[in-house]
Amino acid sequence: MLALQILLRNWRGGQLRLVVGALVLAVTVVTSVSLLADRVEKALVNESASFLAADLVLEGNTRIAQDFVERAQATGLRTALMMSFSSMVYHGDDMHLASIKAVESSYPLRGAIRHSDKPFSADPAAEQTVRTGPPVGEAWADARLLPLLRIELGDSIEFGDSHVKISRVLIEEPDSGSSFSLIGARILMHVEDVKTAGVLLPGSRVKHRLLVAETGTGTERVSAYRAWLEPQLSIHQRLITPDQAQARIAESIDSGRRFLLLAGSIGVVLAGIALALASHQFAIGEHLQVGLYKSWGLSGSAIRRLYITYILAIGTLGSAMGIALGALIQGLLVWLVRDWMPIDLPPASFRPWITGMATGFLCLLGFMLPAIWHLPNLSAMTVLRQDIPVKSASTALRGGLGVLTIGLLLLWYSGNVAISMAMLVAFTAIAAAAMGFGLTLLWLGQKVARHLGSIWRLALANLWRRRLQSLIQLLGFSGAIALLMIMAVIRTSLIDDLRLQFDEDTPNHFLYNVASYELQEVEALIEQRALDASGWFSMVRARIRQINGQDIESEQLESHESLQRELNLSWAKNLPENNTITSGDWWSSTPYNAAASPPTLPPLSIEEDLASELGLVIGDRITFSVGGLNFEARLANTRSVSWDDMTPNFYFLFPEGLLEGYPRTHMTSVYIPPSEKLILNDLLRNYPTLQVIELDKIIERVRTIVSQVTRGLEVMTLLILACGILVMFSAVSLSMSERLQESAILRTIGSSQRLILGVQCIEFTTLGVLAGLLAALGAETALLLIEHYLLQLPLTGHAWMWLAGPLSGGLLVGALGVSYSRKSVLLPPLEVLRRL
Amino acid sequence: MIKVTNIGKKVLVADTELTILDALSLNVEAGESLAIVGPSGSGKSTLLGIMAGLDTPTNGTVHIDGQDITAMDEEGRAAVRARHVGFVFQSFHLLPALTAMENVALPLELQKGGDAMGIAGSYLQRVGLADRTEHYPRQLSGGEQQRVAVARAFACKPTILFADEPTGNLDSVTGETINDLLFELNREEGTTLVIVTHEHSLASRCSRQLHLKSGIQFTPVAEMSVKC
Repeated sequence: MLALQILLRNWRGGQLRLVVGALVLAVTVVTSVSLLADRVEKALVNESASFLAADLVLEGNTRIAQDFVERAQATGLRTALMMSFSSMVYHGDDMHLASIKAVESSYPLRGAIRHSDKPFSADPAAEQTVRTGPPVGEAWADARLLPLLRIELGDSIEFGDSHVKISRVLIEEPDSGSSFSLIGARILMHVEDVKTAGVLLPGSRVKHRLLVAETGTGTERVSAYRAWLEPQLSIHQRLITPDQAQARIAESIDSGRRFLLLAGSIGVVLAGIALALASHQFAIGEHLQVGLYKSWGLSGSAIRRLYITYILAIGTLGSAMGIALGALIQGLLVWLVRDWMPIDLPPASFRPWITGMATGFLCLLGFMLPAIWHLPNLSAMTVLRQDIPVKSASTALRGGLGVLTIGLLLLWYSGNVAISMAMLVAFTAIAAAAMGFGLTLLWLGQKVARHLGSIWRLALANLWRRRLQSLIQLLGFSGAIALLMIMAVIRTSLIDDLRLQFDEDTPNHFLYNVASYELQEVEALIEQRALDASGWFSMVRARIRQINGQDIESEQLESHESLQRELNLSWAKNLPENNTITSGDWWSSTPYNAAASPPTLPPLSIEEDLASELGLVIGDRITFSVGGLNFEARLANTRSVSWDDMTPNFYFLFPEGLLEGYPRTHMTSVYIPPSEKLILNDLLRNYPTLQVIELDKIIERVRTIVSQVTRGLEVMTLLILACGILVMFSAVSLSMSERLQESAILRTIGSSQRLILGVQCIEFTTLGVLAGLLAALGAETALLLIEHYLLQLPLTGHAWMWLAGPLSGGLLVGALGVSYSRKSVLLPPLEVLRRL
Repeated sequence: MIKVTNIGKKVLVADTELTILDALSLNVEAGESLAIVGPSGSGKSTLLGIMAGLDTPTNGTVHIDGQDITAMDEEGRAAVRARHVGFVFQSFHLLPALTAMENVALPLELQKGGDAMGIAGSYLQRVGLADRTEHYPRQLSGGEQQRVAVARAFACKPTILFADEPTGNLDSVTGETINDLLFELNREEGTTLVIVTHEHSLASRCSRQLHLKSGIQFTPVAEMSVKC
């Protein structure tokens, strides 16, 4: 109790504030990151189940045996049966081959269905989210079914022997990608209606599914059921789990978590440095106090107990504050990225809270304890003589313990020895390189200053003399500034990319599957509405039969999905915009002559990633089959394709004049303003085979996501900047008594306040400029690596950073440093000297 | 009260053994006041530190209240200090984050000495600072700070008070008031007083003076002539 009282009194002295501040910041950074990662991970587990609409799915071509259902229900699981198939639907004279999905009312077991009461509307107010399928007698259909059958919502359509009412427009259901054909308009209805309609005859192509889910969040019953079910499955049946359904999302969440972990670790490293410096300063301030304690008869062990109580109290208080602040910031992050994660995040598990607390105590053990460990062993004679040597832990030992602490924390966060070791090595290497470079800059600075005025000489000599502190400050600040600049570039380039896509005439719809005989009419309709199409492209559907004269083996067939299906081939005279040749030559340089003698194989261009996945190299021969007719082509070049420019792009391109004889369809991308959106009704009604992809909704969503994610990242970066500022304050406070003494001596011998402030201003500003320079170098290197390896962009420099870095660094560090240390000038010299 | 027998103190400075104190013996009776005087570097503060149990001699023994503190470990000496010893320092050594009251109360609190704040208040009143109890050291003059230090030293009711140049940082008038205070409390509390000082006026108020030069006790000429 007394120890706490003394601790509270010491708080007024100010030295503890930096210690607690650094601790709070470390815990805040880690807690916010771990809370977010934990909640997203939990949401992912739940969500992956909802993408499947269940925890486990049994799929097959035969009816699901009744005892499978009964067994699941007896185990305490929820079930839903589902059938999907294609069937004709009618309204008056209009008909359409629709993709029917028939479900029980309990569907979906996980996730929800989104439907709307307005077709082709982007109005969120018209949307509704429900957790049950349509009632008997009602169906929810794709918007495009309405123009195709010339019906309104509320009309009934004929379906086999019965009628169903189309009551809502179906926007999305959890497992929409799993069983629906793209060709027919989707209709979701109740299984009872399928029975009544009598559309399913023996031999009909139907996919049957049994959906199974836990009543709560556990997994035991599903596991037990699965174990029971697996041995009984026929070869026509298979089980699908959420893991298989969501492997890709898991991957992207995982890289997101790694980024957060990295950002959090940088924050902890900076906060750790600040904590170590602040603790060192705190320990120096305690020397007199410990000497007094000893002179009053307090034993070394009692003093050690006192300081252990301090650490426990600071750890508990600082960690609690950090955890509270971390939870708040996590809330802010979640709010900022709310559209990126449209799912409701479940509450976090207990682990992030423990992680926050453990970080606090581990930081204290690794950074503060080594700095104050020697205090109980101080000689009692310190009260009588200031020159008694203090045997504190060596800088190397403290540095080693600090690195060990960071290593342990990284291991804790990542749970992976390899990742944590790699990060630790990377941090150490970057810090060592930055320190080497910083030291060179400081050395050069003081060399150059010898030729400048006395004020410059003094300031830069000071930086060199206090080079360890200067280096630590350089490191803290350059890290924070570099991160800010990297964020700015990534954010700007992402937003610029999107802005390009958002030009007034940027296509926002794809129209495809337009038959040749309809092309003129569709073109005319688009022109009549003064819409801007990006040009028409022709497509021929073909399948790869042979590569280099060899039939595709069944093993090969399994290896790549593009070998299993029909592909779209197109042709172009010139290399399309935003395409770049990556190997071989485009044919405009050597036009293909079909009548050449001896005959040569026609050239072919393939998108580079696909070519490499199929193991194709320039000169390889590929045989295509178009409706049973085979032709062979030679791979002439590979291209990189910009898929995100919202114009049609193709994996396979041929020279003009080669495929025109084959049956083909046409596609284009077109900008349709919201006011003209109803043209889709006319198009779909008049040309039932035409297909539309509405890009506008996707673009809008991507834009929102990017801006929210970058804002979220900015919050993290600001937290890291706060850590950098704390490092500077800690480092400045280390030299404070020296600065006070210097300032008092200079003023006693007649130097003006202006001169002393000038020296400090030059000192800090130079430090900031050097930090900015170092940051620009670091950011430039990091961005080149990111752009080259991650975004695969051509290498470009960022000249502005070389100006903005030093400028912002100079201003920020100069202003902060001078404001923090100006009290050394404001106090009367006598008082300063007396205090010392 | 304090019995110093043939103590010596040697330290290694740059591989050279330096003798700070050599073959020094003395007795200080209870209630007596002793001034240790001598030029800078004569070993005054080292002797004070050894007598108070803050430091250990290279050879010889020191007894406080009959206990050989040189035979004790640091914990044992700390216990003796807690029971018998108080200090007043040249640079006051008040803790800047604590008020005058808290500075005086702190050693009492650490020794679990009952109503620490009450006792601290009464001692601050005795040194004439009843109206400055909530002031921080930086808000007090040098003389006032030393008075707080004196109050802190006496509040623990030590049987021996060691003062290291108690007026060294003060002007002569302020110094004189501090001296008055020290001797007044010494009388009232019956405390044994051991003072290291440069000042003749202070030394002459002590019942006995010990002159040191290069770590060796010597008798100054003036004193010898008086004795003659």
